Amino acid sequence: MKTVRDTGLLFHRYTVQMLRNPVWLFVGFSTPILYLVLFTPLLKELPGVRGFPTGGVLQIFLPGILALLAFASGSSAGFGTIFELQSGLIERLRVTPASRFAILFGPLLSGIVTMTVFDTVVVAVGVAFGFHVHWAGLAVLTVLLWLLAILMGAFSTATALVTKEISAFAAIINGINLPILLLAGVLLPISLGPLWLRVLAHVNPLYYLVVAARSLAVGHIATTAVWQAFAVLVPLCVLVLAWATRVFRRAVA
Amino acid sequence: MDSIITTRDLRKSFRSPRGSVDAVRGVSIDVERGEIFGFLGPNGAGKTTCLRMLTTLLPIDGGTAVVAGYDVAAHPEKVRERIGYVSQLGGADDMATGRENLVLQGRLYGADLPTVSARAEVLMGILDLAEFADRKVKTYSGGQRRRLDVALGIVHEPEVLFLDEPSTGLDPQNRANLWDHVRALRDRGTTIFLTTHYLEEADALCDRLVIMDHGEIVIEGTPRDLKRQVSGESVVLSLRNEDGAGARASALLGAQPYVRELSEEGDQVRLYVEDGGAALPQILRLLDADQIGVKSVSLSEPTLDDVFLRQTGRSLRDAGSDDEGRAA
Repeated sequence: MKTVRDTGLLFHRYTVQMLRNPVWLFVGFSTPILYLVLFTPLLKELPGVRGFPTGGVLQIFLPGILALLAFASGSSAGFGTIFELQSGLIERLRVTPASRFAILFGPLLSGIVTMTVFDTVVVAVGVAFGFHVHWAGLAVLTVLLWLLAILMGAFSTATALVTKEISAFAAIINGINLPILLLAGVLLPISLGPLWLRVLAHVNPLYYLVVAARSLAVGHIATTAVWQAFAVLVPLCVLVLAWATRVFRRAVA
Repeated sequence: MDSIITTRDLRKSFRSPRGSVDAVRGVSIDVERGEIFGFLGPNGAGKTTCLRMLTTLLPIDGGTAVVAGYDVAAHPEKVRERIGYVSQLGGADDMATGRENLVLQGRLYGADLPTVSARAEVLMGILDLAEFADRKVKTYSGGQRRRLDVALGIVHEPEVLFLDEPSTGLDPQNRANLWDHVRALRDRGTTIFLTTHYLEEADALCDRLVIMDHGEIVIEGTPRDLKRQVSGESVVLSLRNEDGAGARASALLGAQPYVRELSEEGDQVRLYVEDGGAALPQILRLLDADQIGVKSVSLSEPTLDDVFLRQTGRSLRDAGSDDEGRAA
């Protein structure tokens, strides 16, 4: 109960904070739209190529963008944490009786709500370009995207608390972001690639989400890809949240 | 004795590339309810590390600490409810108003909105922030921001308020103003625990203090007692230039039991006494009885720097820079 209340208070704080910084919101909105407008035209000739999944270009590409958005919104959470460490805010919160989980989860929740708003805009723009909405699939996909954003957000926040300064943190986050994104087939499906790449992708948690997202976007819900994605993301999420809460409890800020 | 903070043999070490650094090596203190208690020492002495252990921010490596009735290691959440903490950094939200900051802080301590709104109003009055209450914190001056930090630390009416280097970065006027607020808090019953590397601050503000160096307590007492231990107070008498006035005064005063040391230089006599305030009237009476004219008298107290110098062989003003240890 207390955890829920504290999470609510901190969610409110972070959301108000973000709304007061419209430049940031604008950048957040423009990224996925730029991908849609400037990248999608390059894919026009792809349907029919061997390895390219069936369905329209946007049915393949848009879910990838949503996954990218969730991944990026989560993994960038730690930049704010570093700033808050240096401004003393984290320490001020840690010395109050507020739930440690709430201190971690309040801002993550705020990030997830923002992300969901972005997602809605992306889908709406996608529809204008010819994306066909399968509502049930989209609802399940939304849950998967939340899981991914929480997973990456908790990981990023805890990494920030452990590294404590921007350069080490940025090196770690940027260092792992690129291979994970490339190996998940966010922009172009991994199924276009050679066998070794398709095999290697299976060690990447994000890969499962991207494959599931494409399945869900064409309305296929009860598929192996979808339950595999949940089977990978749910335990990982629990694990990383537990670790991050522990770091908040012990952190040498 | 009603101790609100008790530590026994408190210890902390940090791993570093060069090996383990003992930041705090066996600190035992008793802070009494309702006093302003200070940790004075150079940067790197371990003051902040101690304070961070007492405020549940840092795990304790060895020894025990009991704050406001609860063991810090065993019941950190009980301790958190009862203490306030103002870090060197402050930590107020720049983009929020002072009032918003206070309301969130109060609610995180469990108060409901009407209670905390009323409390915020009172606090902003007490700390002279009322007219800035609804401005964003980023527009605050250094002094206003510091007062807001203090308000954030006491929004839940804690039994103990911890202040880490409270006046760092403040100009003398704002510093004096902050000291007044801290004293007023103490007078309303809050125990204050502060760290400082400013001699003047420790001297002006603390009821009792310990001097720390290299993770250990060097000496403990009231500022007055500590300074008295050094050499007492020095009294400088300028005498009217009459025949043999200096010699006569020296002979007369040198025989007094409360005079520790005495030196004479022409018509100036410098002497060290235990308690200048008590000795001065007696000295003047003696001189007057012997018809030795006095032009001027000055009484100067030793500073806490003299205390530090005597205990460590270094001046506090120079110490710290040579410390290899982490910033405390």
